[in-house]
Amino acid sequence: MNYPVWHLPDIGGSTLIALIAIVHVFVSHFAVGGGLYLVLAERKGMREQNPDILSFTRGHCKFFLLVTMVFGGLTGVGIWFIISLVQPAGTSLLIHNFVFGWATEWVFFLVEIVALFIYFYTFDRMDRRPHLIIGWIYFVAAWCSLFLINGIIDFMLTPGQWLIDHDFWSGFFNPTFWPSLVFRTFVAVMMAGLYAYVTCAWQKNQGLKIAMTRFSGKWVLIALAGAVPSGFWYLSQLPQPARTLVDGASPTIVRALDWGLYAVIAILLISLIFTVIMPVLHNRVTALVVLACGLLFTGSFEWTREAARRPYVVNEVMYSNGIRKGEVDDINRQGFLGSARWVRIREFHEESLLEIGQDLFKNQCHACHTVGGFNNDIVARTANFNYPAMMTYLETLHQKRYFMPPFVGTPDEMRALATWIVTGLHGKPSEAAGAQAAIGSGEGPGGALFRNNCIFCHDSGLIKTKTAGWSSERVRSALDKLSALNPAMPDYAGSATEKDQLAAFILSLNAAGSTVPATADDAGETVFEAHCAMCHGLAEGGNPLLPKVAGWSRQRIRAALDMLEQLQPAMPPMEATSEEKDSLAAFLHQQSQGGQP
Amino acid sequence: MNPLIPIPDAIPVAWGWFEFLLLLTFPLHFVCMNMLLGFSGISLFARLRGDDTSRRLAFELARVLPFLVAFTVNFGVAPLLFNQVLYGQFLYVSSILMGAFWLAVIPLLIFAYYAIYLYDFRFRSLGRCGALFIGLALLAVLLIAFIFTNNMSLALDPLRWTAYFRNASGTLLNTGDPTLFPRFLHFAVGGFAIGALAVAVFARFWRQRDPQVAERASGIGMWMFTYLTMAQILLGMWFLMALPREIMLIFMGRNLLATGVFVVALALALVVLVTGLRRQVGWTAGLTFVLLFLMVVMRDLARIAYHAPFFRAESLQVIPQYSPMVMFFIVLAAGLACIAWMLWQVRASYKKA
Repeated sequence: MNYPVWHLPDIGGSTLIALIAIVHVFVSHFAVGGGLYLVLAERKGMREQNPDILSFTRGHCKFFLLVTMVFGGLTGVGIWFIISLVQPAGTSLLIHNFVFGWATEWVFFLVEIVALFIYFYTFDRMDRRPHLIIGWIYFVAAWCSLFLINGIIDFMLTPGQWLIDHDFWSGFFNPTFWPSLVFRTFVAVMMAGLYAYVTCAWQKNQGLKIAMTRFSGKWVLIALAGAVPSGFWYLSQLPQPARTLVDGASPTIVRALDWGLYAVIAILLISLIFTVIMPVLHNRVTALVVLACGLLFTGSFEWTREAARRPYVVNEVMYSNGIRKGEVDDINRQGFLGSARWVRIREFHEESLLEIGQDLFKNQCHACHTVGGFNNDIVARTANFNYPAMMTYLETLHQKRYFMPPFVGTPDEMRALATWIVTGLHGKPSEAAGAQAAIGSGEGPGGALFRNNCIFCHDSGLIKTKTAGWSSERVRSALDKLSALNPAMPDYAGSATEKDQLAAFILSLNAAGSTVPATADDAGETVFEAHCAMCHGLAEGGNPLLPKVAGWSRQRIRAALDMLEQLQPAMPPMEATSEEKDSLAAFLHQQSQGGQP
Repeated sequence: MNPLIPIPDAIPVAWGWFEFLLLLTFPLHFVCMNMLLGFSGISLFARLRGDDTSRRLAFELARVLPFLVAFTVNFGVAPLLFNQVLYGQFLYVSSILMGAFWLAVIPLLIFAYYAIYLYDFRFRSLGRCGALFIGLALLAVLLIAFIFTNNMSLALDPLRWTAYFRNASGTLLNTGDPTLFPRFLHFAVGGFAIGALAVAVFARFWRQRDPQVAERASGIGMWMFTYLTMAQILLGMWFLMALPREIMLIFMGRNLLATGVFVVALALALVVLVTGLRRQVGWTAGLTFVLLFLMVVMRDLARIAYHAPFFRAESLQVIPQYSPMVMFFIVLAAGLACIAWMLWQVRASYKKA
């Protein structure tokens, strides 16, 4: 709110940050570990008096120079550019608090450049001993860069004592500093081996290729052995809200960690088989596949680290929309419009509800949500909401979903945002008109509880369908453990009385005289989401299922669900009841027919 | 007070330290950036001429270009950092207003860098096609310079920021500012001039190895420097006249320091013209470096004058903590010593050879 918002409704700034950051981190870790690889490979060539190894090292150095200094160096500047465009307040906080940390890192960057240029351009000219020392200088400078940036990045996740004393050193040597540094050092060494696979694969001298492939394979395996426990050490140091997100409360983190696990397994297997046991089999395809796995691993880790920090850009200090936690009470009193600098309308007017709502969205929500874009689309995510539900949701946003920042502003401003989303985006009526359709008549205390707790994800028609034929005991006991019904559903934290009231309301939906229309059964969709969506999209996205079952009969789909592991060895057997498989088969068949039953 | 200017964050040491570091590091970026322009331009020109001496000159320059890109970027990082500490509330806003262009700097730079490496590493095999690569790289660098000119001028003028409310998609340029084009031309033409002078300086290193190339480099470099400096004086006047009256007047007597620096700089520009015409490379280079530093100081004084109605760096809140700065200076000293040792090793290896 202190800064303007770069309005990118289709892609969103956070996607740009993620793209640039992941490719940069993938290369920058190579820039650190690769320096160590170069000097140890050169030393190996010297000790074995093998000019081929020295020639290999020189060639690898050229590759290293072109990848790290050009692409790595410039994407590093790119991160700085993109975060200052998308998170200017957070960037300013980091720059002002750690300016001499960044400045010191700049000195190491300068030393790195000079050392690498000299190392490469004097490879066959300088005496080996000073040449090796210059290689070591490069590596130490690159690692010191990592040391400094690591402290500042981890400060964002775990500011620790800085929250109390605002001291540079408290923030720098924060609770995750050391585990992260150890983990990243191992990752850097692993990346050095992965990138070296590429140079190895392009070698024409077969003997040299085998020797250096095996040498590189050992790097990867040893580094992996260190990276895995240090990764767990890092995770164990996360503060509690972040731990909960990583442990399963955030489906996107769970998915990212799964992909990271697959990548690690692939790196382990390919390295064992193709580089250590049978290096003769190593080729350009395996080199590029394992490199892609390295990128996937980096993406998984960086995504998890960033996502676990939500709803903050600097934990407990600044929310991801740039609003400081400490300012929230004041803004709630004074109003967002009166506090923000980059809004069109500075005083609340009933006539300008939509414009105000749009500005509030840009300032408070656009940091994470696109509008009709492919990433975290607000239109898709609010499709089920009517106006009262949206108001209730905004009131309890942060409590209901910890990883989202609270709405900040007056109740009138909240109405404006709800109106813009419900009416401006979806064309639904604002105010109370939409209430009845979602919760039915005769609300009562149970209806109010339903509106406050359930309606964000399901309307009453859907619940009516899902609970048709249920006994009152079954409804009541289900409310005691909602996550048993669906792992993505949080348990309901209400009192026993509230659960009774909510159960009564749910039962009333299927009672005679209920006016709530039932929504079509989507049990199959629920099964799809619980069992398949981790790896498959439906019609699009990653590895979509519908193209695979196009033209299949419902019976054929049902039969396939009993033998997934035989159809595709990488797939686990489906652990679901027969009824669930029936529902899923019906759902997939229906979807493959264009949604027609 | 303009209501759009963000509230700045507190700084850890007195603002003068950052101003000092900004003025210390920015000229280094300036020199490298000018050399990049001059070396690319003359290398392109020489590659297109096609005679053997020109081709060899183009190659000698191509070999230096990757270093120039690397150091232009590195020496650009430090002043951009110190600028953000003092003036981030202006620079972040202007960057966001033209976000799409500002971010385009990165792919343009990556493209230029790889094109330059290709031009260098494949100089012989590319033949005359090499001119295409260095030409495109030069074009990319000039585009980057134009984007920077837009951003830096937009950061100076918060009154123009209201354009955001008509276009928030990051595609604004500052073309409505009458100083934009003279500012860009002043920096670009000046860059080519100083870069050309640097080529003449480098010719001394090639004198023993290839006297013909050295002679050609010195001739082209000093010729370009002299005539571009003449154009530069006129462009500088245009730039000065295009400045808002209040800013222009600080160089016309209203501010003693600014006027003094301006007069000395103008006199020095005339002196280097004379030494340039006489082909006195050493004198010209030495005096031009002083002139360049004065230009940087003038640029800084103009920025302070632009911001004066809204902001003074002295007013920034200081929450003092000096120990990180001590760490920085210690590491800087150690880093420079380390670089000196490495360069000494290079020299020793060449002597031995």
